[in-house]
Amino acid sequence: MPHTQDKSSAFAQGLLIFVYLAALTALEYFIAVTFKGVPILALVAVVKAALVMYYYMHIYKLNEDGGSDHHSYAYKTVTNRIGLWLFLLSDAFVFGGLMTARINLLGLTHPHLNQTLGLAVTAVLLISSFFMNRGETAMAHGDKKGFFVNTLITFFLGLGFLLGVVAVEWPLAAAEGLTPDSGVAGAVFYMMTGMHAFHVFTGLIFLLVVLNNARKGVYSAERHWGVEAAAVYWHFVDLVWIFFYPALYLIGKAL
Amino acid sequence: MINPSPARGWLFFAVGLAAAYAAGMGLVYAVSGVLTYVHLVPILLATVVSATTMSWGASGFSPLTKGFLGLTLGGLLGYALGLVIDLLVQGLVDWAAPTASLFSLLIGFTAFFLGVAGLNAVSKGLIWQIIGTLTGAILVSLIRAAMGLEWSGTFLFTEPAWVTGAFLGVLFFLGGNGSVSDWFKWARGIDTPEHHEDAPGWQKYLSVSLDHKVIGIQYTVTALFLIGVGGLFALIFRAELAASQLQFLTNDVRLFGQTGPQLYNTFMSLHGMIMIISILLGIAGMINYAVPFLLGAQDMAFPRLNAFSFWIAVPASVLMLMSLILGGFDTGWTGYPPLSARAPVGMQMFFLGVFTAGWSSILGALNTIATVLRMRAKGMTAFRMPIFVWAAVATSIIALTATQLIGLSFQLVMFQRLLGMGFFDPAKGGNPVLFQHLFWFYSHPAVYVFILPGLGIISELIPVFARKPLFGYRWIAMSSLAIALVGFLVWAHHMFTSGMNEYLRVPFMYSTLLVAVPTGVKFFSWVATLWKGKIWTPTPMLFVLGGLVVFLLGGLSGPPNATVSTDLHLHDTYFIVGHFHDTIFGGFVFPFFAAIYYWFPKATGRRMSETLGKLHFWLMTPAFFVLTFGMMRIGLLGMRRRIADYDPALNFDFTHLILTVAGFLIALSVMIFIYNFFHSIKNGEKAEGNIWGSRSPEWQVPSPLPAHNYDQPFEVVGEPYDYGLPGAKYIEFVKPAKSGRK
Repeated sequence: MPHTQDKSSAFAQGLLIFVYLAALTALEYFIAVTFKGVPILALVAVVKAALVMYYYMHIYKLNEDGGSDHHSYAYKTVTNRIGLWLFLLSDAFVFGGLMTARINLLGLTHPHLNQTLGLAVTAVLLISSFFMNRGETAMAHGDKKGFFVNTLITFFLGLGFLLGVVAVEWPLAAAEGLTPDSGVAGAVFYMMTGMHAFHVFTGLIFLLVVLNNARKGVYSAERHWGVEAAAVYWHFVDLVWIFFYPALYLIGKAL
Repeated sequence: MINPSPARGWLFFAVGLAAAYAAGMGLVYAVSGVLTYVHLVPILLATVVSATTMSWGASGFSPLTKGFLGLTLGGLLGYALGLVIDLLVQGLVDWAAPTASLFSLLIGFTAFFLGVAGLNAVSKGLIWQIIGTLTGAILVSLIRAAMGLEWSGTFLFTEPAWVTGAFLGVLFFLGGNGSVSDWFKWARGIDTPEHHEDAPGWQKYLSVSLDHKVIGIQYTVTALFLIGVGGLFALIFRAELAASQLQFLTNDVRLFGQTGPQLYNTFMSLHGMIMIISILLGIAGMINYAVPFLLGAQDMAFPRLNAFSFWIAVPASVLMLMSLILGGFDTGWTGYPPLSARAPVGMQMFFLGVFTAGWSSILGALNTIATVLRMRAKGMTAFRMPIFVWAAVATSIIALTATQLIGLSFQLVMFQRLLGMGFFDPAKGGNPVLFQHLFWFYSHPAVYVFILPGLGIISELIPVFARKPLFGYRWIAMSSLAIALVGFLVWAHHMFTSGMNEYLRVPFMYSTLLVAVPTGVKFFSWVATLWKGKIWTPTPMLFVLGGLVVFLLGGLSGPPNATVSTDLHLHDTYFIVGHFHDTIFGGFVFPFFAAIYYWFPKATGRRMSETLGKLHFWLMTPAFFVLTFGMMRIGLLGMRRRIADYDPALNFDFTHLILTVAGFLIALSVMIFIYNFFHSIKNGEKAEGNIWGSRSPEWQVPSPLPAHNYDQPFEVVGEPYDYGLPGAKYIEFVKPAKSGRK
């Protein structure tokens, strides 16, 4: 698919990628309830991550050079983009470390959790990424109202995910005896979801900041680095969940 | 004798010292009825009072005098405040209670900076850190009281209260001192100017500056301060080791809630981590100061992030010192559970301090990589960059990524302690060896973070002082990257005896030995560059050559530790301690001093005294050889590391005594350096030109550099190290366009 496109085909592309991601998530769930093939689950997660990184996070934009004037907005945006991606790379090592701890401590088992709820919050986060993509695309084409509506939907979906994990999933798990100090499964579960929820929380603040600045008219089709950064960060949070969801809910036997 | 003069300074110093010592002894006698001259109260009192009177005598009522006066009064006030709080909360007065010491430290420090320059970024930050710490701690204590839980503990507050308070303290520091105010403006949609005007003179070093040269110097001075603190700790436990049996850190000692041997453990552990943080700040200082002007850039890619990275290291350092006072900890700098899951509250302050300092390192590395990718002058292709820049990139790749893992491993222990999460608790199914994997995944590559910039300095300076092209430029550049990348694959060589799976030993042995290859490339290049060169040895070059030899010793003593069969014998002995100090002195300390002597004229327009510099070198180097050879010798004979005492039957007493003397000689040489450093800022010989005859761009313009480095941009037209080749040019200044933007 081409990178530069008019507004309607950009929206269509976002929708198509969303459909792919949703189908792959359904496939993951199907694998988990049938034959539990860990390598295939890992492969599907990698494919999903690649789709998100390319079509939602636009990793190929790192190749741009922004012209030769070091003081221009375009040049600085490319520098900022490199900075943001370096930060995400660094942050990925935290989640990688948590994943290592999970594999080392739990192996081919996973905590006993509410599968329906897990799939539901995953779907909510995935849909939020779809709307985030629409919001960013709208801003890139100068459609401020479209940006506002879509980003607001993203915010509320993100809030739904956060509350779904922290205010619903945690008490439910605790009620079934899975508490932070109950054992290593509880420790891993609360640490992984907690660290991810903290990132969702910061992402929500970031979205509020961007929404507020958009309301003040800070961004335009040519100058909206803040919007792009918020969107890429939001997709990164989704990307992490692409790996955390199977790791916590799908891989191996329930304890 | 009326006007301020050095002689008057020494006289006042002697008077202040004697008077304060006597007053301190009298105070101890009045309180406890014991007349003793070895006591912390008179020692501390005499130190701060004599510093105050000396400064008063030498310079009158100057900012520094006011600062020391603030330190003395603030320290006493904080101590009194702590005693009162303790009396109100615990209902008894305990002279050695940690609370009083903690308030004394925090308020004393704050008052020092208040005295020096009134409300500035440091004093404001420290005031806010105190407010933040108390806010968090009191808030949690109130919640605990409301929930019917115990709200006060041995260290005034409970552990969760201290952790929350310490964390909030860091945030308050950053919010209060102005290092994030531009970002908050951006978040509210307010634009800020690209650069801010700095305060004039030395006061800009105490304010939030965005100029990379100012930040580089802030980093360097903070690093020197921490080297002083870490070195002081080393001297204390080195003195205890001078003879077998316990002499002064005895079981009767009670300070900061610790006995003498516990204090030994805390000092030993903190020596390690404070030195590591000082090294991280030192390399950040070198990189921040030099990389932008070596590239021909006006500043780093993200100046605000740069300032933030420095300022977050200040509250981190305060947390490290708080860990000493809040009960200390006895795990060594590695903080392995299960011991670290049981140590006093100081352990948590240590974890938080390292975590915070880690962010400084990560964000600094991010900034460095972005700067090198985006801010190079015209014509500066990858293989025409000064070689130090390659080293900075290699180091930043590690610091950017791996640092997260030490942060995570310490965080997991923090949560294990706070919430009972059983990551490393076998009783709950946890695995202590997992901690070691996560920890060493950073902490081994970290030593390459420490040494790569230093090795870059060696490569950068040898051609200047041998007047020859750098031999094998591309090989050196690539060897830095190779060390960084291979460094990611060697961590488990620290765990040969830890009970990890045995089949992992041999692959990690070989990957470790592989590091010798790129390091060897560097050595061959240095020797080939020196060969038949016109070698000239002013102080910077002395330190470069010293670093080269010392690092060679560090490198040669490495393979015995990497090889499984010999490591099983050497693990946890003084041989490791000797090896490690060789690599770090050779890879960081010597090149760091070389860099300071080399770029000091660039920063100040004056040079440091050659005589004192040579004295520094010729005192430090032999003393250091004695120190590490002695360490390795007793290590081979079975001296264990990290212990406060050893069996007299081992016959190590004499060697240990020599080591202690050598340690104090090194301290003396560093004090000469520090005197030279501060004295030369005002009184050094003028040196505004290219005094080293360097081809590097920053030396082609007069010193010191203006705020945005170069008044006119330059273009790279040749190779950087073509010394001795007639007509070879590295850069050409471009005439500024008439209406061009600056």
